[in-house]
Amino acid sequence: MLLSTSTVGRPDPPRRAVSLTWVVVAVLIAAGLAVAGTAAFFDLRAASTLGGIRVTDDLGRTVNVPYDPARVAVLSPSIMDEMFRLGLRGHVVAVDCYAAAFGGLSDDYSPDQVAAWNLTSSMCVQVGPTFAPEMLVNLTPDLVLASTIVSVAAVEEITGQLHIPVVMLQPPTLSGILVDDTLLGEVFGVSSTAQSLNADLSAELYNATRVGASVGSYPTVLLTYSVDSDGYWTFGPGTFGLSLIELTAATSISASATIPYPELSGAQVLITDPQFIVYGAGYGLNESTYAGGPEWSQFTAVQNGRVSGIDSNWVTEPDPTMILDGIPALLATFHPGAT
Amino acid sequence: MTGPTTLPALRVRHLSVRYGARVALHDVDLQVHAGEFLALTGPNGSGKTTLIRAALGFLPATEGAVEVFGRSVEELTVHERARQMAWVPQEEGLRDQVPLRDYVLYGRYPHHGRMDGESDADRRLADRILTDVGLGDRASDGVLSLSGGERQRAVLGRALAQETPILLLDEPTAHLDIGHQLDLLGRVRTLSRTRGVTVVAALHDLNLAARFADRIVVLSHGRRVADGPPAEVLSEDLLVRVWGIAADLGRDRRTGLPFLVPHQLVQASRRDPSSPFMGPVHIVGGGGSAEAFLRALTEEGFGLSAGALHLLDSDAEVAEALSIPSAIEAPFAPLGAEARERHRALLGAARAIVVCPFAVGPSNLSNLLDVLPFVDRAPTFLMSAPPIRERDFCGGEAEKAYRALSDAGATEVMDLGGLLGALRAVFPSSPSATQDGPRTTAERG
Amino acid sequence: MDGQPSPPAPPVRAGRRWIVALLLGLVGFTAVIGSSLLGTVAIPVRTGVEILLHQMSGGALFPAPCAGTGVSVAHCGALTFIVWNLYLPEVLLALIVGAALGISGGALQGVFRNPLADPFLLGISSGGTLGAAILYVYRIQEAHADLFLPLFAFVGATATGLLILAVARGRYSSVETLLLTGVAISNLLSALLSLVLLYNPVGGEQVTFWLLGSLGSADWEVDGIAFGIVLALGTVLALYGRELNLLQLGSDVAQSAGVDAPRVRLVVILLASLTTAVAVAFTGIIGFVGLVSPHIVRRVAGTDYRVVLPGSAAVGAIFLLTARDVSYLAFPSSLLPIGIFTAFAGVPFFLYLLLRQRRGTTMGTT
Repeated sequence: MLLSTSTVGRPDPPRRAVSLTWVVVAVLIAAGLAVAGTAAFFDLRAASTLGGIRVTDDLGRTVNVPYDPARVAVLSPSIMDEMFRLGLRGHVVAVDCYAAAFGGLSDDYSPDQVAAWNLTSSMCVQVGPTFAPEMLVNLTPDLVLASTIVSVAAVEEITGQLHIPVVMLQPPTLSGILVDDTLLGEVFGVSSTAQSLNADLSAELYNATRVGASVGSYPTVLLTYSVDSDGYWTFGPGTFGLSLIELTAATSISASATIPYPELSGAQVLITDPQFIVYGAGYGLNESTYAGGPEWSQFTAVQNGRVSGIDSNWVTEPDPTMILDGIPALLATFHPGAT
Repeated sequence: MTGPTTLPALRVRHLSVRYGARVALHDVDLQVHAGEFLALTGPNGSGKTTLIRAALGFLPATEGAVEVFGRSVEELTVHERARQMAWVPQEEGLRDQVPLRDYVLYGRYPHHGRMDGESDADRRLADRILTDVGLGDRASDGVLSLSGGERQRAVLGRALAQETPILLLDEPTAHLDIGHQLDLLGRVRTLSRTRGVTVVAALHDLNLAARFADRIVVLSHGRRVADGPPAEVLSEDLLVRVWGIAADLGRDRRTGLPFLVPHQLVQASRRDPSSPFMGPVHIVGGGGSAEAFLRALTEEGFGLSAGALHLLDSDAEVAEALSIPSAIEAPFAPLGAEARERHRALLGAARAIVVCPFAVGPSNLSNLLDVLPFVDRAPTFLMSAPPIRERDFCGGEAEKAYRALSDAGATEVMDLGGLLGALRAVFPSSPSATQDGPRTTAERG
Repeated sequence: MDGQPSPPAPPVRAGRRWIVALLLGLVGFTAVIGSSLLGTVAIPVRTGVEILLHQMSGGALFPAPCAGTGVSVAHCGALTFIVWNLYLPEVLLALIVGAALGISGGALQGVFRNPLADPFLLGISSGGTLGAAILYVYRIQEAHADLFLPLFAFVGATATGLLILAVARGRYSSVETLLLTGVAISNLLSALLSLVLLYNPVGGEQVTFWLLGSLGSADWEVDGIAFGIVLALGTVLALYGRELNLLQLGSDVAQSAGVDAPRVRLVVILLASLTTAVAVAFTGIIGFVGLVSPHIVRRVAGTDYRVVLPGSAAVGAIFLLTARDVSYLAFPSSLLPIGIFTAFAGVPFFLYLLLRQRRGTTMGTT
């Protein structure tokens, strides 16, 4: 058995000064960074600074917006309500939707709203579960009006990448709705319309305060917007739902909750035993749904027939409809005859 | 071929290796010269694998060092070690179906830089090695489709591809049939002789070691107990001492090399040196009466002596087979003065005496009589089945002697079981004192 | 074991390799173009292709891509933006991240000598997710979420990888110890993640979605950075192919053949962790790519890790791109998490692997 010339005992080959590997790696990293640098130039839309006015939105952002833009994306049902009441429906080219598999348009807008505002799915821009920028781009809006249902990252993307100005409208209180109307009036040049709308809103608010002052006692109320086998979802401190109840001279049994949207168990409701129960209807929820909740038949309000439904949009979406429809409805429920 | 060098290829300097509290190797010292074929032998657990693993640098030395061409293994990098030593392990965990040629090429790793691929020279070398180990026609087959013997040769091929001056093999013939054993070791030896490769092989088969190795090193309990050419190292005594095997040493007329033929019985003297020595127990017998006792007590781990026996007596043959020191007399002769003198010496050294139920005639009556003075010095047991009356062919003298022994303090025992119990009482610290029944050699030590 | 293992795949001749490479390149290019037309907004094919070629050639080809199609200038601009700045970067990110996950999976399977090893086995994904979750729910640096999210995820993932390596060092660095350490830490981090999400449901929806993977963060900048890092890490990783081959023989045997087994293991695991961390940082958790890709390569091209590693990168890239395309073709108007699709493809394959394992050899052709 013979082997070829063997390397038995031969010394190690000399090592190169700089290993070839690291040279190759360095070249590749440099290549990668070069690509990144060049890629920055591929961005198409330069930031537009033409004309327009400066506004400060509800989140304190100062934004340059075009004056009376022809194409507007409205990414919130409450803002849509305002636009419609200000006669600006014609400017709206895009609305917020959820992923088509999760309901699409009907996830955020009730059938009444879709019909009233003449919305179609071609206007959809998906904001959940993730934001789809291409749908927004495809509708070529000049301005985006959004509430905080649009994530911060998405807003960043719209302003930074798509270079479309975004005005965030998220009123902190009921009076904030009026502020938003004024702002929209400014942007679209319909200040007088906005003013008269605000007058109506103020009147309604004042009326509610007056009724509140005139009644002797505040009834206890459960205002619930959703139900499951564990209990009833209601409004806690910092929510519009609670504010509405307080404004309409009633006391919510969830007023002392520690989180904005607590779920009260059947037992908790039973102990506090509200005089009125108002449930949010729509999006698949109706009285029989709530009747399936825990201890429902034990509640005094149920036994006394003091249960009524209300369009859930009226108590969840901070917009003129909440004031103009929601407040009167609640007043009528809690203090009939005291208009 | 490398010429003689002053530096040994592998030098193990007073190496000790500990696993926690357990000492695996203790002060092992040996050297292997370039081109030598050294066989490492010893029973299981004697430290052969530990020594090889220490040489490869897998285990740190507690004391001492292993040097490869004068350089301590612990100072070498993994890469440098791989260029000096190649390892043929007992088992390999490869589960992938790697083509055989590629598998052999794995051995070229220490010769390549990071960016180098395999050269044609490498591939030619691999093919040549495959031919040399008899797998030339299987080059494209997957490693997993080889038989056990072929697989072992493939592993050897991979190690050979490392082209190192030293080759370490750990039980390379463990899973091979005899034909493949001879084949593999033959190839390795040829390699050693023609290319000057230093070979260290752990082998459990002494005859293979004798046949192929230039030198044999024997390890026992982590210590080196023998080191030298096969003819010098292999002896019957060594086998008894280290393996506890009785064997006959023969010489192969053709090769002139020694070979061992083990006997069927496994000697119990291979016991854990840390347990106390139980004995000597002296067996008085003859005429086949002692055979069973000799075997049984040996099994139990007692150190024995025997007498006075006649040559050609079956008892004497068993005693010799078990290497039991005995007082022996010529066949058919009455017990002479010399034999009796030796017998008395054995009796005097004994810590217990067992008198077997032998037939007593005038020629061996002295066996009983010589016991009498020692009865008060060592517990004496008289096997009484069959009873002495039936075995007395001296006209009643044997019976009288028995009674004298009883009166002096000897105990009558009916059977082996009783004897064992009694003996265990004599050596209370013996391991068997806590156990019932005889234990096999496999369970012990 | 039933049956004999079959012989390994034959090597491809050098000359044929070039033709194959060229063909693959053409197919790849076409696939990239085609995939860049898929998304929630439908792009007319001809217009889209013209737009892409126009952009790629710097304006030389198809100077007026939307001419004659009835598309307004403004809308053409929108389509161009969508295809060039949104879809194409997504496609490229799918390729980059798929490659990263693929090669990591191959390397980890080699190092752990376990065909079920996967980049997420070590809990690196959990660490990354935890980092991202903390950023989301505590609203850290909201304004620059785009930049900080990948950073937090990267830090979380790498920290986990280093933690595992630190725990399993020296004589505890056996394969089994590393695996178990990774699994244990992964479970711990998942528990922490659940805790964070439980008490902060607000940011939680986004994190939950992120747990299923998304290519939405893709833009040219992101792609450039990801490409550079993955290319560098992946190349270095691929250079360990020979060592991985030898490691399959067992640590001791590999060491006797010149491979510093503990060191190589740690380096490879670290590199694979980093590569995975980059992927996790940009796209959230996308599973099964790292598990499945190496197996496909082994079946086709044998078990040599010098081939398996780069091959897994290629297969991983294709796999993820295909998943993206399928998600848009099957659900045209929804943006569903891509992790769902890789799972739908990966799980049946995974089960098939398990069943095959019972019959034949663990890895390699059977």
